[in-house]
Amino acid sequence: MIARLEAWFAASGWRAFPFQREVWEAYLAEESGLVHSATGTGKTLAAFLGPVAEALAEGGDGHPPLRVLWITPMRALAGDTVRSLEKALAGTGLAWTVGLRTGDTPAAERARQARRPPAALVTTPESLALALSQADARERLAGVRAVIVDEWHELLGSKRGVQVELALARLRRWNPRLRTWGLSATLGNLDEALDRLLAGAPGRVVRGVADKPVVIDTLIPEDVERFPWAGHLGLVMLPDVVRALEGSRSTLVFTNTRSQAETWYQAILEAKPEWAGIVALHHGSLDADARRWVEEGLKAGRLKAVVATSSLDLGVDFSPVERVLQVGSPKGVARLLQRAGRSGHAPGQASRVTCVPAHALEFVEAAAARRAAQAGKIESRRPVEKPLDLLTQHLVTIAVGEGFLAPELREEVTATRAFRDLADDEWRWALDFVTRGGESLKAYPEYRRVEEVDGWHVVRDAAIARRHRMSVGTIVSDASIDVRFLNGRRLGHVEESFIAWLSPGDAFVFGGHVVELVRVADMTALVRPAKPGSATVPRWQGGRSPLSSELAEGIRELLEAHAEGRADEPELRAVARLLALQRRWSRIPRRGELLVEQCETREGHHAFFYPFEGRHVHVGLSALLAWRIARTRAASFSLAFNDYGFELVSRERFELLPLLKAGLLSPENLLDDVLASLNAAELSKRQFREIARVAGLVFQGYPGQPKSAKQVQATSGLIYEVFARWDAGNPLLAQAEREVLERELEYSRLAQALRRMAASPVVLRQVARPTPFAFPLLVARLREKLSSEKLADRVRRMQLEFDRAADEAAGEDAQAELFG
Amino acid sequence: MTACEVAGERLELLPQRAAYWPAARTVFVADFHLGKAASFRHAGIALPRGTTEDNLARLEAALAGRAVEEVVFLGDFLHSAEGRAAGTLAAFARWRAARPALAMTLVRGNHDDRAGDPPADWGFRCVNPGEARGPFALVHEPAPVRGGYALAGHIHPAVRLSERGGPSVRLPCFWFGARVGVLPSFGAFTGSALVRPRPGDQVFVLADGEVLRVA
Repeated sequence: MIARLEAWFAASGWRAFPFQREVWEAYLAEESGLVHSATGTGKTLAAFLGPVAEALAEGGDGHPPLRVLWITPMRALAGDTVRSLEKALAGTGLAWTVGLRTGDTPAAERARQARRPPAALVTTPESLALALSQADARERLAGVRAVIVDEWHELLGSKRGVQVELALARLRRWNPRLRTWGLSATLGNLDEALDRLLAGAPGRVVRGVADKPVVIDTLIPEDVERFPWAGHLGLVMLPDVVRALEGSRSTLVFTNTRSQAETWYQAILEAKPEWAGIVALHHGSLDADARRWVEEGLKAGRLKAVVATSSLDLGVDFSPVERVLQVGSPKGVARLLQRAGRSGHAPGQASRVTCVPAHALEFVEAAAARRAAQAGKIESRRPVEKPLDLLTQHLVTIAVGEGFLAPELREEVTATRAFRDLADDEWRWALDFVTRGGESLKAYPEYRRVEEVDGWHVVRDAAIARRHRMSVGTIVSDASIDVRFLNGRRLGHVEESFIAWLSPGDAFVFGGHVVELVRVADMTALVRPAKPGSATVPRWQGGRSPLSSELAEGIRELLEAHAEGRADEPELRAVARLLALQRRWSRIPRRGELLVEQCETREGHHAFFYPFEGRHVHVGLSALLAWRIARTRAASFSLAFNDYGFELVSRERFELLPLLKAGLLSPENLLDDVLASLNAAELSKRQFREIARVAGLVFQGYPGQPKSAKQVQATSGLIYEVFARWDAGNPLLAQAEREVLERELEYSRLAQALRRMAASPVVLRQVARPTPFAFPLLVARLREKLSSEKLADRVRRMQLEFDRAADEAAGEDAQAELFG
Repeated sequence: MTACEVAGERLELLPQRAAYWPAARTVFVADFHLGKAASFRHAGIALPRGTTEDNLARLEAALAGRAVEEVVFLGDFLHSAEGRAAGTLAAFARWRAARPALAMTLVRGNHDDRAGDPPADWGFRCVNPGEARGPFALVHEPAPVRGGYALAGHIHPAVRLSERGGPSVRLPCFWFGARVGVLPSFGAFTGSALVRPRPGDQVFVLADGEVLRVA
């Protein structure tokens, strides 16, 4: 069977890689598994041609029912995948059709697929869940023999991954011989990734093409003496970046945030106006057409450079790209390698990523990332455990579809790894929640969602079914606001929370334009070109992912090696002077030490801690320490944190030594102390947004919805408050707290860090002035306060920001519009 | 006790999110949204019980110890037609039955237009916006009214306060401008929207069970 495949390869002038042959043979032997390697190395053909070979061996019937489901995390990738599958079918001579089914698929195409299902369907986790909500789902999907999950590493760490697990459990019940193959980038926990995908069934992990060479280096400016000690934009590197762009045919410039991408795009064009049209911008807020234009341009080799965010981390092969620049911290080893892998696809070329530090310590980070990558220290993705919000969504999905018998569905759900530990009471609660609205609601006859008819759980109300179908999924973004010029031209979209911060007349950079907000109406922000002058850079969410444990450990190691004279990296030479100052004024901490510096400024008394554990952990640690100190005496602290450490500032001096001896860093009562110190309720409330959406408690609405739909819309914050007050035992609240602890605070990592710190020597240094390590913390603009005062007392000190706009009537009208 | 002067009249601003006008022995309440949780449940959104009881308890507390003769609802008394659930209506009816002498007026708001007036046996006088009371013009949507100081609700006002260099908080508020005054929303299950007061306005926020003047 494989001969036909080899023949096509030969005719195209290629040779199959051994790993591809291994996957084909394993597939034909009815095995499942996981293939991992960098992008653009033939994973698609490895996974798809097994089913193709099988069909050819069976005679190549042109119109089988749906046989292969191809799940991709990104809608934007789906079209490219369809094309490569079609090419493979044409090449091997199998007369199969390939369909595409995502949220963007037009109704006519959906109807065509219903009449005549394609043999292979490319779809997303959300669209697959939606398929399960159809009454004839079983009929349509029971014939599927192979599910291929592309970019499984992307899905693994999120609720979308669990959504895939649930769908797979259902498909496996319909077809116990279903084969599942995952495609993944290299991860630290490949075995776990496989185990999740196959729900514990045996399978094989196949390593893709032997890793191609990756060059990781750093742009080192000529005048490194004047390199800033703090900052995140990195524009001081502009001349060096422009030179780097000049020297390569096509370059991807990755930044960590959209605002940084906007800023760099503008700066490059200002430096090189003649590059207008061949330098482009790509980020998740831009209009889909604009993004597609950029992607096509990259593929065709028309673009000299593209400034991008993680929006270009995944996806199609941009062969012409020769080099990747990473502006600012790479944050993690896997991410840096993933980005490097976007370049050097031409034969004989290596992938090359060059770090562009935004401040001096990022030179150290770049070198540490290279060493970690060379040592194969790649991050893991931790899967999500037992998300009850998603369970309730799934129950309704199946009830909207063919309906379910509770014991049967429970068995199916607990067959997944995510829900294998689901307890009786948790299952009972989820079932009650969708049928009765939760235990506390038994007395409310007006509640309707899932109804029980002779033991069979179904949704009978058409409006509820429709609303559920529109809400399937777990991706929660802020309500998105269209950004349009007054003439109607669409620029893209931004999160509502961003627009909420702006007032009419405020300028911001968007999609490479400097625009001024005119007004917001009907989920659209109308803008016009801004008058020349200063622009505010968008304060976008995102880009706040912390330094990974692996990279953090790499930095601690490298600093120790440097302090002991064992590390000679070009990046360290570049910042030798800064490191020497740090050593002279204070100390370069060894791996097993916790360095703490204290100094006085006009602001007050500062204590700087450097655990090098990433921003999230430092947020938690700083609040924890401040809270523990404030418990022993009346104190107010201002806190700052970054990926390397954190700072506590107070007006009064406090002696750290006795506090440390009294257990300031003790891991005892850690959970309670952390929850108390961080205003966990406020954080959980934020996290509840996603849970409320997934569990169907909030509905985002849709254009042209009837007024009655608007009357059942509320913010998740409000719903959280109602639950917290009147149904405090609701498991969804506990889930919000758990998710905050793990996602926002990385609680397990924090606990581990604290244990490490509690067991390591503390080096306490009194310094005359802030050291190079302290400086970025000192100038951090975003600070938090920790204080035990009552809200009412704080309010008495607070300032109200007035609207000083002259036009009174306009202000009132604008307010009336809010609730109109 | 927090009091202020609006349109020459003294108003007491109550932490229950209502305003008392002693001269007329009247309590003003905006955006009660009776039956809001019930309308969510009707749509398959599971909300716990308790909001109606809370609304009634707070209303009771606002009246307690005052010689109140009338309650004026400044619009959006009922949330929606679907929210007219038997249990919810019965709870309010019970409360009403225990207070037979109290006059009740509803200035109809946008929600009332679709939700309908309260049941006739509750003895509400339902009027359209614009009714005059002393210097006040009673309305739902805040907009200047000729010949009177508009008392309104509708926008569920809140303001953001910040401490220098510190985090900000968002708190519901009473907001009295030159010609229009807006009450915070009363309903336990109602959100808020940020407003931007101007210099000269009187603003009082609700925090920790207190009414605090911030402007």
